[in-house]
Amino acid sequence: MEGETQQPSAPIQENSSDGPRQISSDRVNRVKKLLFRRMLVGIKDGRFFLGGFYCMDKQGNIILQDAVEYRSTRRSSPSPMEQRCLGLILIPSSCRISCHVDCSVEEQLSLLSLNEKIVALD
Amino acid sequence: MAHKPTDEEAFGVAVPGRTSIPSGDNSVWADVSPLLHGACQDLQEGELIHGDNFNLFAAMSALEIMDPKMDSGIVCRYYSLEEAIENGAAPVPVSVDKTTDIRCIIDIMDHLLACEATWHKGHSLAQTVYSCLYLLQPDRTSSHALLHSYCRVTRATCKAVLSVVSDARTHEEEDLFTMAYGLPLSVDGDEKCLSMLNAVEETISRQLRACKSSSKRRVLEAIEPLQSDPDQEGYCKALLCRLRFRKHLYHLLMSIRRPQGRGLELARKHIASCISEFDCILKSSEFLRASAQGMCEQNIEDTTASGCQAIGFDASLNCRSSAPTPPRSIKILSWKKAVQYFVKLLQDLDIICAYSLDPSLEAALNFVIKFQKSQPDLVARSHLQLLLVQDGKLYGRIPMFALITRAAGLPEVTKDHDIQKNEFMVQLEQLVMNLLKILCTNVAWQRRKLGKMLQDWRVIHVQLELAFKKEFGEASKPSYDELCFKIFQQILMWVEEQTYWIAHRFLILGFELELYSVHDYCMVYWYIYTVLIKLAEKTHLRIVMNTGTAKKKGKKKKDSFKDAGRDYQMPGAVLFLQSQIYLAEGLCMMFSALKNEHVIAAPQSPFNTEHEIFIQQFELLRKACLPDNISYRSFKESTMHANFSNLVMCDYFKEAQKIAKDAKSCFANDPDKMSELRRVEQVAEHNSVALNLICRIGAIDRSLKVSFEFSHHPVFATAIVKRS
Repeated sequence: MEGETQQPSAPIQENSSDGPRQISSDRVNRVKKLLFRRMLVGIKDGRFFLGGFYCMDKQGNIILQDAVEYRSTRRSSPSPMEQRCLGLILIPSSCRISCHVDCSVEEQLSLLSLNEKIVALD
Repeated sequence: MAHKPTDEEAFGVAVPGRTSIPSGDNSVWADVSPLLHGACQDLQEGELIHGDNFNLFAAMSALEIMDPKMDSGIVCRYYSLEEAIENGAAPVPVSVDKTTDIRCIIDIMDHLLACEATWHKGHSLAQTVYSCLYLLQPDRTSSHALLHSYCRVTRATCKAVLSVVSDARTHEEEDLFTMAYGLPLSVDGDEKCLSMLNAVEETISRQLRACKSSSKRRVLEAIEPLQSDPDQEGYCKALLCRLRFRKHLYHLLMSIRRPQGRGLELARKHIASCISEFDCILKSSEFLRASAQGMCEQNIEDTTASGCQAIGFDASLNCRSSAPTPPRSIKILSWKKAVQYFVKLLQDLDIICAYSLDPSLEAALNFVIKFQKSQPDLVARSHLQLLLVQDGKLYGRIPMFALITRAAGLPEVTKDHDIQKNEFMVQLEQLVMNLLKILCTNVAWQRRKLGKMLQDWRVIHVQLELAFKKEFGEASKPSYDELCFKIFQQILMWVEEQTYWIAHRFLILGFELELYSVHDYCMVYWYIYTVLIKLAEKTHLRIVMNTGTAKKKGKKKKDSFKDAGRDYQMPGAVLFLQSQIYLAEGLCMMFSALKNEHVIAAPQSPFNTEHEIFIQQFELLRKACLPDNISYRSFKESTMHANFSNLVMCDYFKEAQKIAKDAKSCFANDPDKMSELRRVEQVAEHNSVALNLICRIGAIDRSLKVSFEFSHHPVFATAIVKRS
């Protein structure tokens, strides 16, 4: 898996105690490390898109490559999921409600700690 | 997947159905929204986070989610067909109230027609006809005879149309058309759709008779009234014409496909019936609109006669469920446009059905070209193609070899000659079939295929020539067969003529497709001129050989050929070409003089030199050596000396005009050729005047502006002179 080849947990620990300026660029660097990883984005109408993280801009619009669309077959959940391939897609930030990345448990914990720090700093 | 619960606990994210979106082995889904949010704040305006392989151009083509024009998967109302049906999106019957039920069914019929026309125009079946939920679950309607029979006949019709288009394989450019995976297109019992339809039609006509007589007295017939209000008669009429149209359309599609054109007579009758039913359908609109007032949801796209929104359609449902549908939203044609489309289709089919079943090859080719001028749609073109080439024969009747010998001017007896078993003759027959098929395709595809085909024609000519030489190389051969010799000789000549005919068609299609810019016109007309010279030469040779009036002639030089008209009467076909030759030459010279005298500025393009454009435009012709020894240099040499002073000396336009006038006398009975000659004459006349003006004042007055338009002829431009 692509996810396993990158080990972002170490730098998180090193830089997280620096000043806000470093944190800022650090956040961008951290997102850069997520490039090409499997990303799962949920949108307002209940669909999910799973694809390789390809690009993000300042507004938070995300481009996924080789994306697959997942959707429920019923309004009442849980219900079976339907899927289809879409290829390269742009998900505007305005309709995105959730965003997950496929990662190992250790990496997840470091991401979590980072998230908490950001919340604390903000 | 033991880690799943921990994942959910840790994040507390409610991801519905997340179990069906597994993360990788030994990995989990980690929420990165806060991180992304933070990163966005840190990013500079215009800055992007992307990898090394990022390509902005490719990124621009990404499908935008939630964009109504691009994202067909937006969840609108229902998540699935089952859910839609459970929620009553497509009830059977549509309404418990009989009148409302009928009213709604008429709307469904109309909307289906609009969908069908939209499908024919190149959209996918899934997003058009099969947006009808009733069609998607065939068994559900079985309790409702009217709706059921209409659904059946619609499905059967779509199946017939689809098979025509996929058999003809003319749909390359419109390849969405034949995609029907996963859709219930072949349903058991649909083949009996006509008997069902007839039964329903019978019931309704009885109903109609009943309401007519009930105005005098109450009927005691045992038929259950379809509806119970005074509008009954109007609804019955509206239903009947719709059902009858369907019936005749289906009959038409069946009979037009009967082998050897045997059903064409019958097909024409059904076409006439279809068109007359359409009149009734159109007339019913007034009644339907009036009685639907305030009864239903407004139909924004106007896909029904009544103006009501049809019940039981949801394109968004089906967009997803059938995989090959491109995620693009489409617009269904309005009901009026759909009717117009079908009327045009019926008229086009009528033209096809009315054509002779025993044409010469030349006539058949010209027929197809003329037919294409009316811009027939895919379905009509496919029918034409399937009719023309059946079982390797024209209309399934005339063997290709007989067609070729006739075209080459050989006597009737040759058509069964054993020479047709020669492998190259077999290949030639195949080429002729392909040519007929290609001419039935859409213009863009046609041009490309014709260009590529030229080489095949060249190769077959060389091979036939070799076979010919091998057979008759030693004249002393004991088994010298004079007939065989003649067949070879004439067919060889005809192949060359036909090749130039294709080359000419290839060149002029470029105008129709707007592939040439003003700066290219000079070389295009020059090329047309050289190809036409060859074509006229070959045509002339063939005619001379056929009539046997002249002795065998060797190769002619093109200039001596042009003057040959002086001493004896040229055949009409050659005069016809000659008028175009002079016109093309005149235009070429006029363009080069304008360029040489700097009235038209040479393009300052950083991309292509004129030489490169020449190579690009005529690559396929030059690969096939059409004509031999042609190059950019020969083009330059023949045009570099053109200027205002020498152009006025030899007025090609006057000559073209004169020849066109002469040629008209040969084609008194051929309205197509006559109108073409008239157009040539007009262009020649206009250009002759313009040229005089340019030559007289062009040298003195540098403010002269010359522009070109195709007002008189689609290929030959008319010059417009203005002083700025």
